[in-house]
Amino acid sequence: MIESLLNAFIAAAKIIGLNYSFLLSAYERGPWLEGIGITIGLALLSIVSSLLVGIVVASLLTSGKPWLANPTRAFVELTRNTPTLVQLYCAFFVLNMLINQAVGGAQNNPLSAFAWVVIVLSLHYGAIHAEALRAGIEAVPKVTRESALSLGFSRSESLRYVELPLAMRFALPSLVNNLVNLVKSTALGSAIAVGEVTYASLMIWTQRDNVLELMIFIFLVYGILTLLVARAGSWLETHLRMPGYGH
Amino acid sequence: MPHTETHHERPTLVQLRDVHLSFGSNKVLKGVDLNVRQGDAVSIIGPSGSGKSTILRCINGLLAPERGEIVVGNTPVHALKTEADRIALRKRIGFVFQQYNLFPHLSVLENIVIAPTRILGTDRQTAEREARELLARVRLSDKADAYPGQLSGGQQQRVAIARALAMHPELVLFDEVTSALDPETVGEVLAVIRELVQDGLTCILVTHEMRFAEEVSHEIVFTEGGEIVEHGTPQTIFHAPRNPRTHGFINALRN
Amino acid sequence: MATENNTLILKAPWVFPTVSPVALWLVALVAAWAVLGQLYADSIRLLLLWVPHLAKGLQMNILTSVLAIGIGTVLGLLVGALELSQARWINTPARWYVQVFRNAPLLVLIFFTTYVFPFEIKIGSIYLPFPDWIKATIGLALPASAHIAEILRGAVQSIPTPQWEASASLAFSRSQTLRWIILPQCVKRVLPPWMNLYAMITMSTTLASLVGVTELLESAKNASNTVNRTDFTILVYLAILTLFFAYCYPITRLTRRLEKKFSFH
Repeated sequence: MIESLLNAFIAAAKIIGLNYSFLLSAYERGPWLEGIGITIGLALLSIVSSLLVGIVVASLLTSGKPWLANPTRAFVELTRNTPTLVQLYCAFFVLNMLINQAVGGAQNNPLSAFAWVVIVLSLHYGAIHAEALRAGIEAVPKVTRESALSLGFSRSESLRYVELPLAMRFALPSLVNNLVNLVKSTALGSAIAVGEVTYASLMIWTQRDNVLELMIFIFLVYGILTLLVARAGSWLETHLRMPGYGH
Repeated sequence: MPHTETHHERPTLVQLRDVHLSFGSNKVLKGVDLNVRQGDAVSIIGPSGSGKSTILRCINGLLAPERGEIVVGNTPVHALKTEADRIALRKRIGFVFQQYNLFPHLSVLENIVIAPTRILGTDRQTAEREARELLARVRLSDKADAYPGQLSGGQQQRVAIARALAMHPELVLFDEVTSALDPETVGEVLAVIRELVQDGLTCILVTHEMRFAEEVSHEIVFTEGGEIVEHGTPQTIFHAPRNPRTHGFINALRN
Repeated sequence: MATENNTLILKAPWVFPTVSPVALWLVALVAAWAVLGQLYADSIRLLLLWVPHLAKGLQMNILTSVLAIGIGTVLGLLVGALELSQARWINTPARWYVQVFRNAPLLVLIFFTTYVFPFEIKIGSIYLPFPDWIKATIGLALPASAHIAEILRGAVQSIPTPQWEASASLAFSRSQTLRWIILPQCVKRVLPPWMNLYAMITMSTTLASLVGVTELLESAKNASNTVNRTDFTILVYLAILTLFFAYCYPITRLTRRLEKKFSFH
């Protein structure tokens, strides 16, 4: 059934001059489908951990303690003003190398290239999320805290029950935008040979010279993934909407 | 009251017949009739949300009514199909907004000059001379080179009036022009409008300034809930209204 | 809701800094290099030998970034103008263009322009070479143009609607209003995000190394592989990181200053 559908698709594509015959070779199809899985894995892991990093960094930024806030701010600025690819190389070619030397060889190093991509993307986007969250916290009017405190909330209770829920709503559009960019950035994994969909496609088209065919698929994969993230975001936005605010 | 003696002989300039308009399910105008003679100052009063500003926006074609007729001079506004026709209409009608809506990137002089030069094709020299005359008229000669952001609300509103007059309109619509102003600057704007009315400019004013409306208007129109409840001379509406709703509104204001 | 929130968020960033991060960074960098100078005197000498090679790489980054923002701006204003058109058959394709190029990963777009475009162009009987670095530049310029179209659209929409109403009341047509009233007010709003975009593009020029363009990162990788010493590798990558930071951070700071300044008008 699937095989005949596949054949029909390849035949149809051939009519408009597109060569998808690689789909018939299990040897090529396997890594390619796996590549889609790896892309999804990279995206999901990085989304979750970047949000965690973002919350930690944002709370350090807004802690009000200069010895915590200033180094954190420096980290955020460094992250935002240097290329992600350079950060990835610094992590993979420098830190990973040092770890290899420390543990006595790459075979003892628990961190794979995949893990480094997740780490770098999480830190990078964590810093960017933190900026959005901080801006969200600052967008909460001062009088909100005053009214919470005068109702008998403690400072941390006010933050937890009143200010953060509001800040989240303010920050949400930016966060969703960041996550869409994060999904696209997983393609960077191909720079250090992580077999995600871009890299898997690269491997196929260097053999078969069918760049355009694979490009269409790649655009579709990222298009669908970013669409899902954006949809989830707008679902959350409508779900959390405050009646009487915005439209 | 100014020139009442010729009041009934002057020709009609604006005529509304059975005008209906709704925004979605919200019926804003439910059959409005209105008659404005040339040289008249007509004030529309009534509670907020009664459709006063909407009437003005229908007259200059910013909004299109769903039913009814609007005629300005010889132009059937309700029947205008193209943007070009509506633009031709708006050249003849001035509009002054509650929030002034000056162009913040242009100086006071440029705000006044831009429409005559760009739209009417007046030469720069003439337009500038007229603009300075208008600025003198609204007592802002020294502010020609200032930017809107540097002026008080009352000053901005007087510039907005000058900007509207620069097009030589046959009719000017004033949409709650003092509602956004500080109390101390209301007077200077009203003084300018008073002079314009005395000079015989036809205007329709939506206003909450009852004493001013009573003083300058030839006719008062009371609207409520998208309908015209009563109209008549200031004397009748403010001192001897026939309709109990008008009576209630005026009384509530008095107290 | 989204637009209101965005303005809130956009307005906030300069509220925070108490100690200037620039000063903090300068101190940190000087200290780091002083320590490294003691520990790695030998490899610093090596690094100096590689400076001409690295400088050539950096030239490529600057050249591609400037070209990409230039092409992207011209193309983006054009697409943005089409997007603002009221005719559906004009604005729909423009909107699609923006969607496609904003949502595709940059790296994939660079692969696309590099591998799909021919290596030379035939004009009449003349063959013009179409080098990879130009293809990569186009790969950067396409998404840049989509972003610029969005920036323009956002700026036009941020001008309050009463400005349109006031212009209409003065008998302006839609295109006259756009030309004389709306766009002049947009310039200030467009400048900060445009500069931001330039910084993003500059950082993205490193992606060209993955299609074989010898820019700074590729030069560094070459140097690191040739010298093949741990301390030199650390040093050269740190140097690259510092260089990019030194180039992009001032742009970011200036952007924030402008945003702050304009937000008061």
